[in-house]
Amino acid sequence: MDKIKDDGQTKTKKEISIIHPRPSSIVAALYTLRDLNVDVAILHGPPGCSFKHARLLEEDGIHVVTTSLDENGFVFGGHDELVALLEKVSEMFDPKLIGVVGTCVSMIIGEELHDAVLEANPDVPVIEVEVHAGYRNNTKGVLLTLESALDSGIISENEFDRQKALLEEATMVEKRHGAASKEYLAPSRGDVKYKVAQRIIGLLKEGKRGITIMNAKKETGYMFADITVAVNEIAKQLGVETNIVNMANIDDTLGLPRVRHHAKCIKDDLEARGIVIHDNIGGLDEYPIAGNVAGKLIDEKYGDYDFAVITGVPHAVPMDSISGMEIISVTNGPRQVLPLKEMGHKYVIVEIDLHPKTLGVNHIVESEFGATLREVAKDE
Amino acid sequence: MSDNLNEQNKPKVIAIYGKGGIGKSSTASNVAAACADEGYKVMIIGCDPKSDSSITLLGGKRIPTILDLIRSGVDITEDDVVFEGYNGIKCVEVGGPEPGIGCAGRGIIVAIQKLKKISTVQDQCDLVIYDVPGDIVCGGFVAPIRKGLVSEAYVLTSGEYMPLYAANNICRGLSKINTPLSGVICNARNVSREDEIVRKFAEEIGSKLIAFIPKEQIVQDCERDGFSVMEKAPDSEIAQVYRKLACAIMSKDGSVMVKALEDERLRELTR
Repeated sequence: MDKIKDDGQTKTKKEISIIHPRPSSIVAALYTLRDLNVDVAILHGPPGCSFKHARLLEEDGIHVVTTSLDENGFVFGGHDELVALLEKVSEMFDPKLIGVVGTCVSMIIGEELHDAVLEANPDVPVIEVEVHAGYRNNTKGVLLTLESALDSGIISENEFDRQKALLEEATMVEKRHGAASKEYLAPSRGDVKYKVAQRIIGLLKEGKRGITIMNAKKETGYMFADITVAVNEIAKQLGVETNIVNMANIDDTLGLPRVRHHAKCIKDDLEARGIVIHDNIGGLDEYPIAGNVAGKLIDEKYGDYDFAVITGVPHAVPMDSISGMEIISVTNGPRQVLPLKEMGHKYVIVEIDLHPKTLGVNHIVESEFGATLREVAKDE
Repeated sequence: MSDNLNEQNKPKVIAIYGKGGIGKSSTASNVAAACADEGYKVMIIGCDPKSDSSITLLGGKRIPTILDLIRSGVDITEDDVVFEGYNGIKCVEVGGPEPGIGCAGRGIIVAIQKLKKISTVQDQCDLVIYDVPGDIVCGGFVAPIRKGLVSEAYVLTSGEYMPLYAANNICRGLSKINTPLSGVICNARNVSREDEIVRKFAEEIGSKLIAFIPKEQIVQDCERDGFSVMEKAPDSEIAQVYRKLACAIMSKDGSVMVKALEDERLRELTR
């Protein structure tokens, strides 16, 4: 970041101004509450706020409700509505843990979530998150949620510090080579899956050696893991299974309870399908740093491999370690295509709408690219 | 008086409410100065977008406001926003947008959260005064109370009908947010039966009149020069009144939940 001197004080110059809409801190707070295993999340704000993600989260087994503030609520406040809703959800869903999340409007008019919680006084813990969508980095929503969870004793100081460091790194990863790296990034569908499938099969047939690196963010691993599976299946079919080395961030001893559970499920599925993960590169929430672990392993052991299939958050794998390989990367972010191409990835594939398909599941879900690989390989 | 009050106690954090123009800032700065004279460590936090709460404690000078600095995007430290005024009083101005633009209420919320994050001066004081704008027009204006920062609220009024009406409304607001009132202060405007009317008002809402500040030209003269009465005219009679008020505030807390009067009763009272 550029620093400018003024009146003897060090000031920070403004960061680039990104003009495409991007993930919201409110939604980030909702997802974090889910990872903390709340049963109900209450949005204190207008009925349309975070609609799409609220629906998705319901697929994932938590109830998301809203105080539905209208013009009257904006003018007269929504304290009573929040108290009433806290009481209602306690009755309807018999929750063990509740989250209350602010929105732009409730924060601007100065609503006090805590007052309403005190008044409703539910007999289970409540995580109050005073958040709006006006933060530059959506990770702020995660951080605010974790701070509140720490205050209510839901998570330990150690876990909080660990998560905070990961979030800071995640923000940096996005600024370096991700969706926050340019003021405008046009969405793209990336390369045609059929052609890339043919290329991978071609490489395997030539006897080239490849690495699969799954560096997935939390539940998205359910689908990215399928690509690891597909590549291994094809290699086996072609009799070159030993040419493939697999890495994945599926350490099930790290992260919030739900995240560990996902790691366990994916690990079990991979095992059941006979896929050997040669190197476990971290927890499912360690995608900002697991790429570095993969990089180091490659430097040590796999520097002479010919190609790499990187899924999840491919831009977190340092180019220095893989620049000599042909890189095929798979992302679920349409705005991630251009930055990955600029990094030097030869093929970039987008799994459109991956996230919704990985909510509410306990097993690996077939990916479009995995399906394409299997289909193309049938002709071999 | 004890200069080690803070060793055992948390700081006394007060807010003075009242109709705009009734003399909140004058009273706040003179009370601050009187307490500082007594050896207390005092801080004043101006929450009015006009940022004029501390001006008479700083020899008529303005200080940079928290919101000005937040707006410019610089990293803010305590030294950037906390300034020392008369007799060591720590002065802070929240600042705010131009009248008619943006949201001053949100500004107060953001600024006091920022202050809490970057400064511990408040915790080292014996008395912290939040000088809040005239009427509690939106949620932001009660943020100092709601955020658990203010422990005592006072209401300032004259014996005129409109300031009393505003004071009564404020009392209604305070009971709505479950905040007790620690006393009523009369800043006289020389209207008929003023002492009696305000005293009666205080009693009927369930509180008490803790000071009657007579109208004196000298207050205005000092302000015109950019000073508090305590600094410029410490031997004046009115300086003594502020001293007494300061003592009343620093002595034991007499907070009670108050009940606002019906409009009709308020009108009868002032007739």
